[in-house]
Amino acid sequence: MALHLNLLHEEFQEQRLRQRDPLKIGMMVLGGLGTLMFLYYMWNAYQTLGIRNRLNAVQHDWSKVEPNVTTAQKRSAELNGIISTTKVLDGMIDSRFFWAPFLEKLSRCVALNAQITSVDGTVLEDNRGISVMIEGLAAGREPRAAAEELRQLLSEQLSQSYHDVKVEFKTLEDLDTLVKIGGANMAMARFSVSATFNQVDTAKAAPSPNSRTPRK
Amino acid sequence: MKNLLSNLNLSKDQIQKLSLSTIGFVVLLYVYFSFFLGPLNKSRNSMMVSINELQSKLGNSKNEMAKANTLERQASAATTRYSALTNLSPEGAPIAWFPPRMKIFFSNQQIDKTTARLEGNVPYKNADLSGWMRYNWLLDLPQTDFATLGKAVAELENTEPLLSIHHINIHALADDPQFQQVTLNVATAILKR
Repeated sequence: MALHLNLLHEEFQEQRLRQRDPLKIGMMVLGGLGTLMFLYYMWNAYQTLGIRNRLNAVQHDWSKVEPNVTTAQKRSAELNGIISTTKVLDGMIDSRFFWAPFLEKLSRCVALNAQITSVDGTVLEDNRGISVMIEGLAAGREPRAAAEELRQLLSEQLSQSYHDVKVEFKTLEDLDTLVKIGGANMAMARFSVSATFNQVDTAKAAPSPNSRTPRK
Repeated sequence: MKNLLSNLNLSKDQIQKLSLSTIGFVVLLYVYFSFFLGPLNKSRNSMMVSINELQSKLGNSKNEMAKANTLERQASAATTRYSALTNLSPEGAPIAWFPPRMKIFFSNQQIDKTTARLEGNVPYKNADLSGWMRYNWLLDLPQTDFATLGKAVAELENTEPLLSIHHINIHALADDPQFQQVTLNVATAILKR
């Protein structure tokens, strides 16, 4: 067997040591990882750039649309306000109590032998209940009957248009003075009539207090 | 760890270098994630959020505009009605224009010497009427006959929709029972100017 002498064993050992130098290997691994990470970063940066471009495009679109949208929103709010205000105002208008038809009915009830001296009417807070105090004079052979006739006629007339009508005497007293009607002396009576009524039917309105029956 | 290093047969110098490489690696990772990838991702995420928000706004904007157009068409009657009602409240303080208006109105109805006094004004409780005020007035009609009064009241109620009579007092004049003195307590809704 031939004898081999390795005279360069120190150089070989150094070369081997150099090859497995941990710092060198570490640096290589670090470099490799760094490269990978850099590439990953670049890829992310590229994607981010794309997203930024998309964002710019969307922002551009929005800046074009935004003034119109803001105007439309303001207008919508304004219109909604107008609609609701008009609705409330219309409700107020519709729920008013009209005195002219009442005065007309009252004038129809006054016969020739009666005279009204005072009318005092009040609409209650919710615009539903009305209270009227009527004072006057009645003349005739039976002045009380004349006053009663006025009361009944008034009750009948009011019942045609209003609800829960109550017409009742507060006072009815004979007077000593006589009045001449058609050449004949007639006795007189002073009366005071209280009329209360509702312009809407409270029994029907009770289930839905918000809905109001429009006036005819 | 020691066993592992002894198995690898590393010299002290090599162990130092290995430690140094490990520290370098950790520092690299820290720098990479904290100063490069982290901020990038953060900015990308915030941009994505902004894009989503803007896109949803853009999507909603079409609905909003369509809704506004539809509402504009539907509300035409209400806007006309509203402008008619607001036109009943002229510019200026109501005390300046309401009494003359009533005086002219009743004088056109053959009732002279009408006076209107302001009794007070209160805001409405309803939020929809925040721009309106309720004014209470006392209208004094010193002399009129019943038929003329009836016609005038009917005309007043028809031409002044925002006015409501909440108290009426009619009494015959002592010296001339053919005529009556009338007091009306009225409330008007007037737009705040």
